[in-house]
Order: sequence, then structure tokens, then C-alpha cells
Amino acid sequence: MSFEPVVMFFLLGVFAGLLRSDLKIPGSIYEFLSIFILLAIGLKGGVELAKQPFADLLAPSLVIVGVGALIPLFAFPVLRYVGRLSRADAASIAAHYGSVSVVTFSVGITLLGEHKLDFEGYLIVFLVLLEMPALVIGVILARYGRGQVRWGKLLHEVFFGKSIYLLAGGLVIGAIAGPEGIKPLDKLFFDLFKGILALFLLEMGLVASSRIAALREYGVFLAGFAVLMPMFSASLGTLAGWALGLSVGGTFLLATLFASASYIAAPAAMRIAVPEANPALSIGAALGMTFPFNIFLGIPIYLWMARFIHASGG
Amino acid sequence: MPAQPMTLLTILSEAVLEDTLVDEIVALGAKGYTISEARGRGTHGERSGRWSAGGNIRIEVIGDAPLCARIVARLQSTYEPDYGLLMFTCPVELQN
Repeated sequence: MSFEPVVMFFLLGVFAGLLRSDLKIPGSIYEFLSIFILLAIGLKGGVELAKQPFADLLAPSLVIVGVGALIPLFAFPVLRYVGRLSRADAASIAAHYGSVSVVTFSVGITLLGEHKLDFEGYLIVFLVLLEMPALVIGVILARYGRGQVRWGKLLHEVFFGKSIYLLAGGLVIGAIAGPEGIKPLDKLFFDLFKGILALFLLEMGLVASSRIAALREYGVFLAGFAVLMPMFSASLGTLAGWALGLSVGGTFLLATLFASASYIAAPAAMRIAVPEANPALSIGAALGMTFPFNIFLGIPIYLWMARFIHASGG
Repeated sequence: MPAQPMTLLTILSEAVLEDTLVDEIVALGAKGYTISEARGRGTHGERSGRWSAGGNIRIEVIGDAPLCARIVARLQSTYEPDYGLLMFTCPVELQN
């Protein structure tokens, strides 16, 4: 199988971590890279949104958020009763898997570029919409009938945490500027995107390598969950995308979105709202297993799934 | 001005708690504080500071002993059960 070159940067980071290289990306550079990626994706979506009547998005948005909400509701009982995790841990992990990963989505977009496949640009709106509901559902699952929740703090974290804030801000700026207005920014935000993504993946590889060891302590169940759960979510996404009449590229991206697990927005939100959950479990699974699985094996499988359903279903 | 005896309280905790802890400290009467980023290892595992959710912070507060005791009591009861939290005090002489 031929790998996307950007994905190999992730491996480079993983090996640097495992081999104890002194490679370290300074925190402020990491911040810059993540700000860039969030804004670039937001702008890209905004430009596409400018071409689309807003009202057309209402029905698909409701369907996608509704189907997306099924993911944590399905994951929670599996984690709780099959995996025998505590209520807080099961809810927190369910929230990570229901929420989405911008970087996994970005790798999906670069793959579509390689295959010369188009996608509906407004899918990026769903990226923003899908970040939130799972986090709220996760907190409700953890807290139902017990103790109070600092909702104000949590909602502030969800809406004004940098992920949603920059994605939504980029969307609005892109939508107002439109394809012509955004041209002066093209070189920075769109032409350089892949290179910046490669650097970001290098850093994620370094971080992931330190999480893989943590995951080993928690056994086979969680590792299996971290691989099977995204496959299940991707199947839901493929069906939803096909039912909504998305293109092959769009169906694939929706499947990738559903399959991805958050490791930027969700950890911060869950740490505040469900502090008794062990973050090593959720981050170990989302970043140590699911993220690498998705970018190496999952994404090619989801593309195959999208092609298959379009070829056989219509 | 002669040096004044004061207490320096150092709090090591998770970066995700920064805003929350600062609100608590100010509400309890601290006039100021200093925050720096930190990394290290403790009973909550390695805190590498490599990525935003994985870092620690060090908050330093200088005040009189009762203020520091109030802050310690409050943080201990509210945050210690669930978060990485280490606090220590030492006597200092304020020079200005």
C-alpha cells in the first residue's frame, strides 16, 4: 500500500519518541501549527459555504448531528458493560469517540486531493457541528442522577475553546470573504496547508509514542475498542452520506469524520466536566490507537467503503 | 523599607485548570500571582507539556501565612481528589 507522504511524518515522530531522540517541537510552535490548521480548515469551509444557500444545509445538518449523537450512546454501554469500565471512564471515552478530529479529517482531504476526487465543501460545517453534541452527551452520561455539573465552565470550554472558536471564526470569515476575497490569503492558508499538516503530524507522532505505552496497561479490550469503534462509526457515516446523496468524496469524508476521535477539544472539556475519569485511558485510546489506525488503515478502508456503496447502491 | 517576612506558596497542577485556579486564588484574597509552564513526572504519570492538554503549570503566590493556608485548604478539598496537585510553602523575605 502506498502511504500519503504526510502520514509518514507521523511515523517519523513515533520512531523519534520510541528511540528517545531529543527531537522536541516547542510548545509555542505546536500552538501555531494547530491554530493554522484550524483556521485553514475553517476558511476552506467558509469559502464553500459562500457558494451554498444556507437553508439547504439545515436538513442534512440535523440528520448528521442526530446520527453523530448515536455514536457516544452506542459506545457508552459497550465500554461500561463489556469493558467493565467505571461510569466516568466509559462516558469520557464515549465523548472522545463521538467528537471529531480535525487532523484526521485533514488527512482525509489530502487523500481526496491525491485521488482527484471532489467533496461537498460544506462538510466542514459538520466538522464544527459534530464537535459539540458528543461532549455534552458524555457529561450527561457521566453525571446522570449524580452530583452537579459545572455546565457554565463546560459550555464555555466547548464553545470558546480554541478548536470550535477558530473553526467557526474561519468559517464566518471565509463565508463573508467568498472565493474572490480570500485570494490574497490563498498562498498562506491553502498552498502551505500540506506542509504545515506534515509538521503537525510529526508532533502528533511524538505525543502518540508516549501514549502507546500507557494504553498497554489497560489491556486488550480498550485496544480492540479503539479499532472496532471507528469501523462501526465509519459504517454509520457511509450510510448517512449515501442516504443524503453526497458524492463519493463527501461520503468518504463523512465516514472519516464519524470514525475519528477527538484528542484536542474532548480531553480539555472532559478533564473539566468529568474530572474523576482517567485521562490516560481516553487519550491513550484516541491518540495512541485510533488516530494512527485511522490515518494508516481506516482512511483507505473508508474510501473503499464509499466507492463500494456508490457503485452498488446507485 | 525593611524586608518583610511573608510566605511563598507554590502550586503545581494541570494546565487545564489554569483559569479555575486563578479564579479561586483571587477570590480568596491573593493580590497577585505568577504563572509559568512546567513539565515533569508524578503520581499522575508523565506530564510532558508536549501538547496543550498534557502540560502542567506552576502558580506562585506570595502572601501572609493565613492567606496561603486558606488557598491550600480550598484547593486540597476541591481539586486534589481528581487532579494532579502539589503545593508547598516556604518563608520568604519580601525586599520591595
